[in-house]
Amino acid sequence: MNSVGMFTLMKREMVRSLKIINQVIWPPMITTALYVFVFGVALGSRVHAPHGMSYSVFLIPGLIMLQVIDSSYGECSSSVFQARFMNWIQEMLIAPMSAYEIVFGYILGSITRAMLIACLIMGLGFALVHTLPRDWLLYFAVIVDVALLFSALGVIFGLMAEKFDHLAVLTTFAITPLVFVGSAFTPAQFLPPSILRFEYFNPMFYAIDAFRYSYTSASYLPLWLSMAVITGLAALCLGIALAMAVTGYKLRV
Amino acid sequence: MDGVSLQVKAGDFFGFLGPNGAGKTTTINAIVGLARLNGGSIRVFGYDNLTQWRDARRFIGLAPQEYNFDRYLSIRDILIYQAGYFGIRARDVSERADMLLERFGLASKAKLDYLKLSGGQKRRLTLARALINSPQLLILDEPTAGVDVELRLELWELLQQLNREGMTIFLTTHYLEEAERLCRDVGIIRAGKLVAQEPMQELLTRKGKGLQEVFLELTRSGTAELS
Repeated sequence: MNSVGMFTLMKREMVRSLKIINQVIWPPMITTALYVFVFGVALGSRVHAPHGMSYSVFLIPGLIMLQVIDSSYGECSSSVFQARFMNWIQEMLIAPMSAYEIVFGYILGSITRAMLIACLIMGLGFALVHTLPRDWLLYFAVIVDVALLFSALGVIFGLMAEKFDHLAVLTTFAITPLVFVGSAFTPAQFLPPSILRFEYFNPMFYAIDAFRYSYTSASYLPLWLSMAVITGLAALCLGIALAMAVTGYKLRV
Repeated sequence: MDGVSLQVKAGDFFGFLGPNGAGKTTTINAIVGLARLNGGSIRVFGYDNLTQWRDARRFIGLAPQEYNFDRYLSIRDILIYQAGYFGIRARDVSERADMLLERFGLASKAKLDYLKLSGGQKRRLTLARALINSPQLLILDEPTAGVDVELRLELWELLQQLNREGMTIFLTTHYLEEAERLCRDVGIIRAGKLVAQEPMQELLTRKGKGLQEVFLELTRSGTAELS
């Protein structure tokens, strides 16, 4: 196994993130601060969150998940696509690196970035609304699981896309709407049953609900169910991404 | 590719010639693993590049025709990271990277973005990157395309020096005078078929013509074969 190659690629992904810090680190921080201010501080006192918690505290886990999902998908999809489009992916393809090592190199870099962003927002949440995770193990486990799912999805779309515009399709038409309706802002208990029925088909609903448990020790769905759904989907997407890379889909002529 | 059977001896300076679209780059892609083979086999220093691909690839350095550098890395890091993909740790390749930057006149640009380099400097960086993993087989796809005469002569001297040091060189070029001057052996490909493979001087002597005439004869005629 070429572990040096895989970790070189992971490190390269981190270097890339730091080179475009104004695109990938500050925007999630500022967006989160604005959400907390508008929804938490300004309107939060008028909204009742479940289990007697304040709406601001309810909001923080959803906002972290929003950024983890956005960042892990964005990192892998744009990085893989750019490497294909500019053809510097050849640097890896001609090296003694397997398709597995290349895919995991990208995904590990993406998970690390998602973890960094999650921790920065967690710090912001502590500074603004004085809340911290209660279950650290679950906190990190859900981030890794969700980042793995969306990084793998990013690899798939990064391989499939023919132009940058294609990468935005999933974000615009699926990820962002599904996160917004996936109980990031609205407690599931408050949704009408007709809408709640559709939430069971929304992977973001499971991700946010499980993650919220690490902060509040309370969730709408059983924790095991949410973790099983996220892990299952992550395994499925990872399997597809690996299969595409192994067959050289849009990588080898 | 159609039944191409090609052997390049270790230490050779081999020219692989053919018109546009003949299959030169496809052949290179097959050797380095960028193309999927649907038949046949390729061995690099005895290693099958399908079943023993890790071993085979460690021997190869590729200088592609296009500038495909990672735009997020500095010039020095382009070399360091390429070595990393080959499984060589940064601390083990640091000196070699500096030596190559010095050798190719890029030491003063080490921390810059590659976009700040001139065309000739980018061409040199392509070669430096191909050499970072200390390959025994250097594959060059049109290495002097678009460079001025001075740099071309400089690159020729450098390639000859690498070959004298024992490196096997596989060169594709459209500049026939380049092939005639540098290569000991030559292969000519037309429409995916190999129409000639022999020592350069033997080919030219036997045909009694210059390389350009031989090349045109073999690649233009519909039935041209060596006789």
